[in-house]
Amino acid sequence: MTIGAGRLALAVSRVDHPAFAIRDLSLHAAGGAASLTLEIAQLRIGASEFRRLTLRCAQGELGYPFISCRGGRLRIGSEDLPWRIDVDLDLETGKASAIARGEGAARADFHADANGRLHGRIARLPLADAAVLLQPLVAAPAAWKAGGVVDGEIEWLTPGAVKDAAAPDGRLIVHGTIDGGSFGSADGLHAGEKLGVDFRFDASRQRGRWRGAGSIDWRSGAAYWHPFFLEAGARLDVAGTMQGDRLELQRASLRLEGVDALAATAVIDLRRRHLVNGALTVSRADLAIVGPRWIAPLVAPQAAERLRFAGHVSAGVHVRDGVLDEVDAAFDQAGFSLPGAAGGGLALGPVSGHVPWRAKAGSRAEVSVAGGRWERLTLGPFSLAAELQGDRLAFARSSIPLLDGAVVLDGLAMQRGTDGWRGSGQVVVEPVSMRLLTEALGLPSMGGVLAASIPALKLHPGEIALEGALLVSVFDGYVQATGLRVREPFGVASHLSADIEARHIDLAQLTDTFRFGSITGFVDADVRGLELMHWRPVRFDARIASSAGSYPRRISQRAVQNISALGGAGASAAIQRGVIGLFDTFGYSELGFHCVLRADVCLADGIAGARRADDGFVIVRGGGVPALDVIGYNRRIDWNELIERLQRVISGKVAPELR
Amino acid sequence: MSVRVWIGILWLAFAGLLPGAAGAQGNLDIDTPAIAALRTSMQQRHLQLAPLYASGAVGLAGDGTVALRDASGVPLAQRGQVSNLVAAENADRAALYREIARANGHPEWEADVRRTFAQRWIERAQAGWWVQAGGNWVRK
Repeated sequence: MTIGAGRLALAVSRVDHPAFAIRDLSLHAAGGAASLTLEIAQLRIGASEFRRLTLRCAQGELGYPFISCRGGRLRIGSEDLPWRIDVDLDLETGKASAIARGEGAARADFHADANGRLHGRIARLPLADAAVLLQPLVAAPAAWKAGGVVDGEIEWLTPGAVKDAAAPDGRLIVHGTIDGGSFGSADGLHAGEKLGVDFRFDASRQRGRWRGAGSIDWRSGAAYWHPFFLEAGARLDVAGTMQGDRLELQRASLRLEGVDALAATAVIDLRRRHLVNGALTVSRADLAIVGPRWIAPLVAPQAAERLRFAGHVSAGVHVRDGVLDEVDAAFDQAGFSLPGAAGGGLALGPVSGHVPWRAKAGSRAEVSVAGGRWERLTLGPFSLAAELQGDRLAFARSSIPLLDGAVVLDGLAMQRGTDGWRGSGQVVVEPVSMRLLTEALGLPSMGGVLAASIPALKLHPGEIALEGALLVSVFDGYVQATGLRVREPFGVASHLSADIEARHIDLAQLTDTFRFGSITGFVDADVRGLELMHWRPVRFDARIASSAGSYPRRISQRAVQNISALGGAGASAAIQRGVIGLFDTFGYSELGFHCVLRADVCLADGIAGARRADDGFVIVRGGGVPALDVIGYNRRIDWNELIERLQRVISGKVAPELR
Repeated sequence: MSVRVWIGILWLAFAGLLPGAAGAQGNLDIDTPAIAALRTSMQQRHLQLAPLYASGAVGLAGDGTVALRDASGVPLAQRGQVSNLVAAENADRAALYREIARANGHPEWEADVRRTFAQRWIERAQAGWWVQAGGNWVRK
């Protein structure tokens, strides 16, 4: 202690009280009792620790045993608190009281009695001020602009005041409410509004270790915690211990809408703000509720508006040293669907099974899928098994029933990279009857079978490439698709490309199937660079020509009329109106058609090399008796009109133009 | 600002962007049905994104994507939707860069296409929009 002219200074290196501990306290009095300044290098109250506290009292009294301060202003570190503080301290009995008055009705009263019992009542404390006081404990930075008020009580019972063997060093009880709470990070990715929260904690201290339990009941308001939007209704119950900077949550249970039970344990290093160890178990989550709220924003935000979920999932997650270490998911009758931009889309389910994942070891996932749908095709039940290793996924051979055949995936392995999934495998389509396939697709019924052998299926971000051939045996010939590519399969630009080769297609069967009249004979077709968007052709270079060989070649009157009708106003059958009506069929020697589709326009041509002086092109060249030619004159045919006309021709609603 | 005006702005942006972005070797103006579908999708979405660019909630990143840079001005209940909107836009942009590279017959050009587009999006951003330069956000 030093005393000078009208000045007094007191320095205390250490004060230990059951309720608090002080290091390096200094008190300066100037001008008699006019002013007091109290400086504390370190103050610990319960589990909270504050550094560099300064209390400047406009009026103070320094005597023995009473010390008092009126109109004090408190500064913690570099933060000035907008409070006026009155303090009375009886050094003889140890009794102390402090009353802090803030803006508006904000007020905090603290009283310590001779036994060391500390009781505090807080009313309308601004959350921003509470955040400053709690900053040593709470991770949220002060820059998060906290708003709202806190009301509550704090009670610290010293060993003399509490008769509890489990709390030989004291007990801390805190309870209260937050009303009109808000917070917001600078980037807006973490924010809350109109928050109403009830909280309660009860902790005992024993040999420097806190043990306690508490609850937080979120009763109103909403929050955005990127990428999740959360609404009130959750309740958290916790129990655990804390020693030094180490917080151990031995039990934490969260009541959340759509989840039967959610429990966690954790070890947290508060100083480093680091999750040392954590485990989370989710029991029977209703995917219809948690899927859109928790899963879609995380795994597929770009399709979050379209993704649909059903069924249930239970899960376990383990984090070790801040890194995801284990995940187990058990699906129970789960369903997932992603409707396409123009209808159709993909759906799987119900799906049941277990998917385990380990960061540093392999695991095996096994699920059974009761069915599915891809566009208009229904998939039968199948099982999927896969070996999981880090970011790598290797499927066991799996057979997915499709109508009366199956799609068999073999050796399919995928690896997740920074830009998406890459992988490869083999696909075989075991024969599917064309009758069932065309029925499913809503097409006229056809005979034959579809099969495929794809020795190299390759997955790249935005592309599925099938190196091999898809073969359809139909109309006594075959159609083969090669160079199959599905690009941007889940986006708006989803499209399929392929080269098609058809050989020896029986026109009699084909025209009968499509009720196009009757043509006997065979054709070959080559479609290069076919592109389908939403199953509609948008680009190709197609050529159809009579197959080589000797076979009967007849064309019915109706087929002639229909071919003519397809060409619109420019097409004609080179035969007189009166003559065509006399015969049912005509002979022909060759037929051919060439169409290059670009920008919804079919650039048309006829039999290769069959030029005419009038710029017409020959679609059917006559041969035999009676014979006729079918000539096209319109070389730019609107594709949509052509399709419309074809549909009308098939339904028999279009009359040909004859001249 | 009316929808019609926004469509006009977007149309001008595209019209101005694509020819200018054509590289010496590749044709960034190339048109395919898939690219047209992506453009249409992006044009429709732009009506929702434009006010977010203007408010600074969303900015044009240096890697050819858009980013949620300051959501604090967006109503809380809509921040998730804005986040989804940004993700959907970025999915379309990634697909657009891939499609243009493919349509040029050089899928391996995707990174170059993306880089070129990133520069152009930023160069042609309207005054007041936030763009990323050297990793930092700046307001044009």
